[in-house]
Amino acid sequence: MADSQFPQVPEAIVCSSCGADPRASASCNQCKGAGIGIPADDGFLVWNTIVDEITIAIRKLRIKANAIFHLAILSVIIVFVALFLVFTIRDFKFSDVQTLAFWTSGYWFVTLFYFAVVVGAFFIFRLSEFTAPAKTLPGYLPSSHVARPTSHVENKIQKAIEVMPYFSPEAIEIVESAYRLAKELQVVEITPEILFASVLTNRSGGIFMARLGMSFDTVKEPLVRLIMTGTTGKPPINFSREAKRTLAAAYDFANRTNRKYVTSMEIFLQSFLESEKLQDLIDRVGYPKSDIVHVAEWVLLQDRLREDQNRFAELARLKPKSAMNRAMTAIQTSLLDHFSEDLTLLARQGYLPPMIGNEKVMDGLMRAIESGQGSVVLVGDQGVGKAAIVEQLARLMVEERVPEVLFDKRIVSVNLAQVVAAGDSGLAAERLISMLQEVAISGNIVLALYGIEALVGGAAGPMDLAETFASEIEKARFPVIATTSPEAWTQYLERRRLGKIMVKVDVPHPDAEQVIKVLMAKSGGIEYKNRVFISYGALEKATTLSIRYLHDVAPPQNALNVLREASVLARKTREERTIVTADDVAKVVHDKTSIPVEMVTQEESGKLMNLEDHMHGRIVGQDEAVVAVARAIRRARAELREGKRPIANFLFLGPTGVGKTETAKTLASEYFGDENAMVRLDMSEYQDQSSIGRMIGIPGDERGGLLTEAVRKRPFTIVLLDEIEKANPDILTLFLQVMDDGRLTDSVGRTIDFTNTIVIMTSNAGTSYIQSAVADGESMDKIKTNLLERELKSYFRPEFLNRFDGIIVYKPLTRDEVVQIAWLMLGSISRTLEAKGMNFRAEDQAVEDLADAGFDPAFGARPMRRVIQDRVETPLADILLKGEVARHDTVVLNDDGELTVEKAENLY
Amino acid sequence: MMQRSGALARLIFVDLIGSVIWFPIWWYTKGLTKFISWCYEGLLYRYKQYAFSVWIKNFFVPMYAQYDWVGRLISVGMRIAVILGRGVALVIEAFAYLFLVLCWCAIPPLALMMALQNIYAGIL
Repeated sequence: MADSQFPQVPEAIVCSSCGADPRASASCNQCKGAGIGIPADDGFLVWNTIVDEITIAIRKLRIKANAIFHLAILSVIIVFVALFLVFTIRDFKFSDVQTLAFWTSGYWFVTLFYFAVVVGAFFIFRLSEFTAPAKTLPGYLPSSHVARPTSHVENKIQKAIEVMPYFSPEAIEIVESAYRLAKELQVVEITPEILFASVLTNRSGGIFMARLGMSFDTVKEPLVRLIMTGTTGKPPINFSREAKRTLAAAYDFANRTNRKYVTSMEIFLQSFLESEKLQDLIDRVGYPKSDIVHVAEWVLLQDRLREDQNRFAELARLKPKSAMNRAMTAIQTSLLDHFSEDLTLLARQGYLPPMIGNEKVMDGLMRAIESGQGSVVLVGDQGVGKAAIVEQLARLMVEERVPEVLFDKRIVSVNLAQVVAAGDSGLAAERLISMLQEVAISGNIVLALYGIEALVGGAAGPMDLAETFASEIEKARFPVIATTSPEAWTQYLERRRLGKIMVKVDVPHPDAEQVIKVLMAKSGGIEYKNRVFISYGALEKATTLSIRYLHDVAPPQNALNVLREASVLARKTREERTIVTADDVAKVVHDKTSIPVEMVTQEESGKLMNLEDHMHGRIVGQDEAVVAVARAIRRARAELREGKRPIANFLFLGPTGVGKTETAKTLASEYFGDENAMVRLDMSEYQDQSSIGRMIGIPGDERGGLLTEAVRKRPFTIVLLDEIEKANPDILTLFLQVMDDGRLTDSVGRTIDFTNTIVIMTSNAGTSYIQSAVADGESMDKIKTNLLERELKSYFRPEFLNRFDGIIVYKPLTRDEVVQIAWLMLGSISRTLEAKGMNFRAEDQAVEDLADAGFDPAFGARPMRRVIQDRVETPLADILLKGEVARHDTVVLNDDGELTVEKAENLY
Repeated sequence: MMQRSGALARLIFVDLIGSVIWFPIWWYTKGLTKFISWCYEGLLYRYKQYAFSVWIKNFFVPMYAQYDWVGRLISVGMRIAVILGRGVALVIEAFAYLFLVLCWCAIPPLALMMALQNIYAGIL
């Protein structure tokens, strides 16, 4: 249901006759004294009931008196009948009872029997008229009807309708406990806020709060403070105008949504919508207005599903229990039965749940069938609900709410894998033909084929039954509903005969609103199974996160899977009857994708704020790069980005060996948890145009490309493209789209989401200019400007450069920085030795010497690795192998560059 | 505003005493309507269950897909028999419902009259 169906502010009017003046309205005929009401189709809706201690007591007395009265009547009937039976059996024979004289001779116990009959009739009358919980709303749809008769009459004279009799006992109790609350807090008016508080403290309030994921303690105090802002004093306590409007609006809403009675849900919703202060309060404790509206929608949807299920069960009794149709024209289909499952029978027995959403697809399907084209193929990704559509068709066929061509038929799902499992294509074809003949002769069968591409033998080599099948269904003209994926459709069916004779109906991905609705509908089963309560926050989170991050299975299936797992997680980590929250869902998604989607914890917040320092533990200098990358991560984690582009696009420029790749690796290890959590492509391998195929896949090859597959499987990652200037220009064009839209379509037709990646490209372009400019002492700003305006133009197009969030120029390393790098590298040797229980120490002069040997202005710090290998690691390995160093000893790199061992003091 | 005394009055005069007066009127108006509609629903359900429209529409379609002449002939004969049989059953059921409606109308006054007559006979 769209939000628009929920009235934002009920349109109430003050009674035109009395102007809601308390003195005049007492005798006002128009509003019967309410003063304010809502004009509706049925009349002028007013709440006009006094609620105080006396009326509450009388209502309770009335319920009790009626119950006692009914019990008394029933007792009278039982006693009269019992006396009649006892005396008749004791004193008369059966033959006597058959005479008229027995019934008319004036026996007192026979007279009692006659009275029992009359009292019995009276009892039927009492049960019919005095035991209903409340009056039934005029808009109520009984379970056996599907359409509501329209009762709208133009220019009808508006008569006042008192709404109270339509309130369910629970709703009345809520109004009464609102009175008590007002009395307790010593306010003189019952306001919508008090009604709202009253719902929360009531039985059903627990459900609403569980659905919201809110605890009463969080709202209790602010709510009391809000209520206390009203006028205080002693009773009498009256309803405020807003409260009267709330209660009348509750009736109006319940009636418009075809409910039987006004329940706590309507009071909950309308009191909330009525009071802006309340909305503000609830918003401040973390629950926006839309959440409350959605919770009400959820309750309504579940009630409706229950009613639909009752109607379905009633209609299902008319559908035959066996394969025979009602016209008895069908035949036994033994072969088909062996390889298939009767969906109508399953639906009839209540095994198939109703479909939520996808109405447009259903209409398309019905239209295709009704138009006489017969065979339909539903094309959609795995998880969008193709099977649910077929199952819904089965349900509609059970109810016989289908086009005439499907009337009195059954839908049978054929297990194609089993059919082709013969291995021998001849045998499989024979089986198929025999089965189809049974279907054709029987005449009451609709075939459902899940994954029709199995007929084409996509996986089974030479087995190709598609042609056989196509010619059979063309000949016999029985309806076929098949399903397939878009890839299989393009690859196996579209250009073949089978694809041409079937009507293609696309099953699109549902949007977030529809996914939430599916989750709402399915939540009951999940809750029952896991004995938990699911909050609205969990539904919403499951929906947004699945749509954003889980692309292996389409929504709503992916969201459902997440919700199921989150429910199991909640039950296992806490106890039964716990509430599944958004955090549980986030944890499941995090575990599946490694994407940090949970709320930022204190610990993580500290890490994020100090990300630069952490990164400088590995990267020497290059402040600009480190700051830019850290800021991008912080923006992403605070969810401040739009979500339509990658988290960030960076171009790192500079000579080799200055830390460009190291920056990417550091980021991967600091934030993505693993130094290798990146997709790294060396663009020198992508110099010709044909290499695009390697990147995004070759048409016809389902494996996809190196880049697209890696990102599809791990959407939250760094995409590192080294030496981008060497790539083919067409590849750069491909990345224009990635950088701008955050997506790329692979050869199979899948759209790969790049919005959770950080795209880093490195380039040596302009290196000689950078080096000479730095040597000349030019400022970095000027160097950057010159690079962009002159040097890079020969390598990259302006629109390409424009798409970067940051172009960062890495400075050539100074000697001091190289010394620091030497210390960092020796630090890693020290850590290795520490793991073996040994210590390592280096003297300053030795490190200076290493830096001198390892520093090359042309190659940055790259030679350093080799120098350390030659001068430190190799001799160290010799020492270790010779066994010259024991645990607790210290290896020292002396000023002369030699390694010596300092033996540890023997304490024992 | 509904007065407090009104609520009490409603309890005594409508719920308890009033209902005794309302009962006979209800029995022949609202109650009778409810009972007839219950009978009608029952009959309608039976009508749907017998699937007359399906049988008539498929009158010449052979049963059990026996498309030979004999099959067709037997089928038509069978369909006539079944439609007639079900028709008769439906009429009988309709009469049964009619009987129930008559009982609804007649039993309470009849029982009351018999009770009074019996009291009278007992006194004599």
